[in-house]
Amino acid sequence: MKNFYDFKVDNIIGISSEEKEFRNKELNLFDKNGFPNKREEAWKFTDLNTILSKNFTNITNDYISLKEKKFELIKEFDHNYLFILDGKLISNEFKFEDKNKVSIKEYDYKKQIFVRNQNSLNLLNNALASGGYSLEISKNYKFRKPLVVYNHFSESIKEQIISYKNSLILNENSEITILNYTDTDSKNNFFVNSFDCLKLKKDSSLKNIFINKNRCNCYFHNYQKSDLQHNTTLDNYILSSGLKFNKMDIEINLNEEHAKSSVFSALSLSSDEHQEIKSSLNHNSKNCQSYQKIKNVLNDQSRGVYQGKIFVKQEAQKTDAYQLSKALLLNDNAEFNAKPELEIYADDVKCSHGSTSGSIDLDSIHYLKSRGIPEKKAYQMLINGFLSEILEKLPEDNLKKFLIEKIGRQINGY
Amino acid sequence: MLSIKNLEAKVDNKHILNGLNLDIKPGEVHAIMGPNGSGKSTLANVLSGKNGYETKGEIKYNGENLGELSTEERAQKGIFLAFQYPLEIPGVNTNVFLRTSLNSVRKARGEKELDTLSFLKIVKEKSSELGIDEKFLSRQLNVGFSGGEKKKNEILQMKILQPKLSILDETDSGLDIDALRIVADGVNSYKNKENAFLIITHYQRLLDYIKPDFIHVLSKGKIVKTGNADLGVELEKTGYANFI
Repeated sequence: MKNFYDFKVDNIIGISSEEKEFRNKELNLFDKNGFPNKREEAWKFTDLNTILSKNFTNITNDYISLKEKKFELIKEFDHNYLFILDGKLISNEFKFEDKNKVSIKEYDYKKQIFVRNQNSLNLLNNALASGGYSLEISKNYKFRKPLVVYNHFSESIKEQIISYKNSLILNENSEITILNYTDTDSKNNFFVNSFDCLKLKKDSSLKNIFINKNRCNCYFHNYQKSDLQHNTTLDNYILSSGLKFNKMDIEINLNEEHAKSSVFSALSLSSDEHQEIKSSLNHNSKNCQSYQKIKNVLNDQSRGVYQGKIFVKQEAQKTDAYQLSKALLLNDNAEFNAKPELEIYADDVKCSHGSTSGSIDLDSIHYLKSRGIPEKKAYQMLINGFLSEILEKLPEDNLKKFLIEKIGRQINGY
Repeated sequence: MLSIKNLEAKVDNKHILNGLNLDIKPGEVHAIMGPNGSGKSTLANVLSGKNGYETKGEIKYNGENLGELSTEERAQKGIFLAFQYPLEIPGVNTNVFLRTSLNSVRKARGEKELDTLSFLKIVKEKSSELGIDEKFLSRQLNVGFSGGEKKKNEILQMKILQPKLSILDETDSGLDIDALRIVADGVNSYKNKENAFLIITHYQRLLDYIKPDFIHVLSKGKIVKTGNADLGVELEKTGYANFI
């Protein structure tokens, strides 16, 4: 059978022979099994290999020459920004901050951090990644305004895989809110395989939000590896509706006491969109907290998947961990799969999980209509109401307003 | 205003209304009383346009064939149903709901939609008349409201939307005496020559406060007796047995 992909380490420009050797080794490991399928526990509900083989004829990692690109800044709220074009860091501006407290560089692959686990896309990332950024925030520095990472993909991209790694280090007692804002000009199918490494040092705090500017035919995979020290807070907000395929694989290691982390998601999916969240909240130390609340609205033939794992090490006593997923199915052809996993070795912990899915309540629709509200609007109000619990948790007034407005447009199908 | 001729309604092949006739003119207050299962709530639901009923017969509302109008069109044209069990709708703010509702109705009538300020002025005035604490209005619609609060909220909606025909489906159930009086005062202060009421109730109690022009006894899906306000008093003494 002819493969639908053709990856070459030689296509990556400017790497040492040592690096080449490492990358080829990773690529060989990937090639053994290829793209993941349902045999792997981490992909229990999704045969990515089949999905890609149906939608691509030949995915390559051909070098992309960057054309100059002007981009529009979000006007609704003040922010700092990074501009990333096809995975490469192009420009940055930190005009609201003390520039001495922020370090921004291209990602250094000589010191790259990598994982090898049952998710073979990580091997592929190790082999092919180039571009990306490293951001470090100094001790005791708290960002005044959010940082928007404009993740732009060019119009010319077609049947390509774009791989990169990002690194973010929050030093002691620092704080930042990041909006990962994906904006795609390409109407073609392409694949993005990214890896984020987050290090939160003592008392630091990160709010990390994901949303798309527009609909696109992109297949996304992001692996996030986060390590949390003492008394840190990491909140992820996944609002990334509008992609053909998206999998967020989130590994959060609560390594020291009083580390806290949340995963919130509000998704409104339609047509044949596929969105997947896989999380591993690893409680490696005592007195840590984790909270996950996932809400999906599914229309047409869309699919949502949530595989949430809570792992509690033997010494992680007094763990407080919670996870709940709720799906609202608007169409008989839509599907939501949830698989909660709890692996607990400590004996004094509070862990809970739950998952529900159901259709819209027609009596509620009738009630709203009986007050003169048109049917379409009534549906929107109920969908909004369903997601509002998550939306209320979004940070910062102007940013929040911007995001809620965006999500309102997602609900209406963009 | 409303003319019902030979109305039949079926749910899951079960006949509930069996040839009901009723005429309501502007300015009139009609009460429908009857035992459990006589079809009172079905009548209210059919008038509001709820799905799931198979109907025959004719319902004309201001000359229009009601069956051809969707639920929202009926509301926009001035039919209001105060629900027996108002629904709790999580995540929908009461004020936002009220404003969306009023503006939908105004838009359909070709009137200008209200901005937040003018809307709040109206809500403030109407809710204080009903003794509703403004804090309620920033809560999720009916979520965690007591039975009485939910019913007051229904009457508030009525007063904001200013319908021509108000159908009150057992609005008195679950109300204590004070709340009953407030709700009745709310209805009485809205009553005028232009609009009409259809009050569905089990008990005479509400009719002590809202004086009906006609009382109809509903039994097995038909009106079996029509009288004036005295009929209610009689029913209270003797029960329905004499009429069914």
